[in-house]
Amino acid sequence: HSALSLKILAECPVTKARACEMKLPHALVKTPVFMPVGTQGSLKGLVPDQLRDLDCRIILGNTYHLGHRPGPELLEKAGGLHSFMKWDRALLTDSGGFQMVSLLKLAEITEEGVKFQSPHDGSEMLLTPEHSIEIQNAIGADIIMQLDDVVSSTVSGPRVEEAMHRTIRWLDRCITAHKRPHDQNIFPIVQGGLDENLRRQCAKELIKRDVPGFAIGGLSGGESKEHFWRMVTVSTDELPNSKPRYLMGVGFAVDLVVCVALGCDMFDCVFPTRTARFGCALVRTGQLNLKTKLFAKDFRPIDGDCKCSTCAKYTRAYLHTVATNETVACTLLTVHNVAYQMSLMLAMHTSIIEQRFPECVQKFFEDMFPEKNYPDWAVKALASVNIVLK
Amino acid sequence: MKFSVEKLVQGSCRLGVLRDVGKLKNQTVETPFCLLYTRGGSVPNLSNDTLGYVQDLPPVALMPLNVLAEHHETVQEYGKGIAEFTVMKDFLVCCTMQDPCTAAPSGYNDKTSVALWGRSGKMKVDPELFVKVQEAFQPDWFQCLGDADTCKTSSKKRTKKAVDNTLNFLDEILSKRKSSQTLQKMALFGSIGGGFSQFERERSAKETVARNVEGFALEGFQNDGEEFCQFGDKDFVDILSLTLKHLPEDKPRMMCAVLRPDVVLQAVRAGIDIFDTSYAYAATEKGHALVFDYNYHTPSEEVKDSDETKMSTPATESGFTINLGDKKYRDDFGPLLAGCKCFTCKTNTRAYINHLNNVTELQQGILLMIHNLHHYLGFFSALRQSLREDKFDQLEALIAQQKPHSPDR
Ligand SMILES: [Zn+2]
Ligand SMILES: [Zn+2]
Repeated sequence: HSALSLKILAECPVTKARACEMKLPHALVKTPVFMPVGTQGSLKGLVPDQLRDLDCRIILGNTYHLGHRPGPELLEKAGGLHSFMKWDRALLTDSGGFQMVSLLKLAEITEEGVKFQSPHDGSEMLLTPEHSIEIQNAIGADIIMQLDDVVSSTVSGPRVEEAMHRTIRWLDRCITAHKRPHDQNIFPIVQGGLDENLRRQCAKELIKRDVPGFAIGGLSGGESKEHFWRMVTVSTDELPNSKPRYLMGVGFAVDLVVCVALGCDMFDCVFPTRTARFGCALVRTGQLNLKTKLFAKDFRPIDGDCKCSTCAKYTRAYLHTVATNETVACTLLTVHNVAYQMSLMLAMHTSIIEQRFPECVQKFFEDMFPEKNYPDWAVKALASVNIVLK
Repeated sequence: MKFSVEKLVQGSCRLGVLRDVGKLKNQTVETPFCLLYTRGGSVPNLSNDTLGYVQDLPPVALMPLNVLAEHHETVQEYGKGIAEFTVMKDFLVCCTMQDPCTAAPSGYNDKTSVALWGRSGKMKVDPELFVKVQEAFQPDWFQCLGDADTCKTSSKKRTKKAVDNTLNFLDEILSKRKSSQTLQKMALFGSIGGGFSQFERERSAKETVARNVEGFALEGFQNDGEEFCQFGDKDFVDILSLTLKHLPEDKPRMMCAVLRPDVVLQAVRAGIDIFDTSYAYAATEKGHALVFDYNYHTPSEEVKDSDETKMSTPATESGFTINLGDKKYRDDFGPLLAGCKCFTCKTNTRAYINHLNNVTELQQGILLMIHNLHHYLGFFSALRQSLREDKFDQLEALIAQQKPHSPDR
């Protein structure tokens, strides 16, 4: 009766990576997948047709923002976010909790929910697990998130354990409140801070519930990379093979490659689209800041091998003249950066199917670090899944 | 470039044809038409991809030099001209001096140079640099270096100086052009200025006509960008008409400015042939959608009965545009304009644009720009049709009915 089915096409015999097809109500999604973030019901500077041209199958919306504007009543009237923003492929929404805690300094968490002051009129409001699901039901995304008790990953001690237990209690409230399990998939979130035992304990508890997939949360918030990859790998160890694993808020290329090797299937991050707004293009060797004089007379495309429409037509020099001055620069760089993320994920998907994922990882690191000054944490993380960076 | 008036309607409205424009040797362009307004070489908000969503684009892009001139060395080194550099090679390029949407700071022109205000501040362009820029850019036609720093309140002295400077620049450019093969290939339009002084306007017109130019650019009515309220006032129309009397019939007249539809019609009546789409952009910037009716064939009662716009637009509202940022569109799930065939209206709603406006998302500018361009171009197509069918006054009456109470609609 679930609105999601996962077909594992191939597993890497060396690492924990796998290539799958995830069937959602609005799209068939190849994993590993990167999901661009369209916070407020729009992907910065792109129209949905451009996302379709990039073969993007799933994007993110943020419940906190959409809950404020346009609000659940209007979204319901519009027939859901798909119809409102004219995006006919898959959508995923977060629970709103993370943004509330990170954006609003005054947020206070109680057993009931997240208490916060409205940024609009200052009144006291409460986001409960039930309320979060109600909004997400109105938005109508293919995948929705449970409300979790978010603790900054730099916090340690009893508060982390409390948050982990509360997250599980809130999951049960979310599942009870969820009115559309037939066409919306709720994902619980593995919490537990940077404590390996708490992570395992949390995952073990979550997998007892009948849910279509799992998210790994509370990471990519300023913790050390050493902690980061260990928590990821501990979590994927506990989660069942048969269901998708979504690592929240991760989108740097290096992190994506390592975490695919550690067994994650889905990722999201504002970085590729945000950095485009500041004039930065993502390439195999890192980033190009097109605002710098370096590119003033560089008549090559951003990346000669990239298949995106920006690289097909525009030079770095032209992008330099308009970069960050004209809104069109944002569109052009966003198209390229999304294309970069898509092609990186597709390259991993294909290499897993062709049983050459470890070589793909090697090649990626050689391109990104030609001096072979690989980050220590990545070397260790990959070694843990039997890839030795040369 | 060759131009001929095919038909004169009601004494002064010109239905004309441009031939042999730049690289489009066999293509003709019917006038009155508008140039595709660009800034920094792109239609604002639109990339090559999204511009492709707009049908029936004009064949010529307007590229004001103010933002672009500072990149002339780059384009020189690039070697293939500004059209290809900006990924606009499907269009001919017409380079003018100032951006019709941007106020140019006043008081910086002198005998030897004109100030252009780009991203990195002021750039003083003298005839030598001007020729360098044009040689690098290789437009199909260009407006001569000119001093247009005049408006309704300019002093006599400033107005006279502007005309003197402009004529001197024209002489210098014409003499430099003799030794530049590149410049000889481009059509050269002389600038006619003179603010609101009839004497200076006539002097400017007569003197420019006496020189070897392919067409005329009417300017100097404004130096404050798009906030141009005197357009449409009687002084402007009178001065414009008087000036145009001195120009030969067989050369095109261009006026690049943010022009409301009613003012476009006044200018056409005065005898202008070439406009630009900056009005569509100015409306987009305000979050406005163009919704005025230009279908002069439909009797107005019929429109009222059958049209859906009537339902979503209260009868009290006047004007050529609606402000989609207005709360009343919050739950209006109709298209921007009922019956509009543009890319935006095919799928998007007023409510969605209203939301994008509330949260200041860039997609608003893209979607509105596409609709507004489509609508403004449709208006020009109807305008030409009305001249062909001798129904220009019907169109005038229809547009006059919709004239706004407040000046910014
Ligand atoms: Zn590209
Ligand atoms: Zn439209």
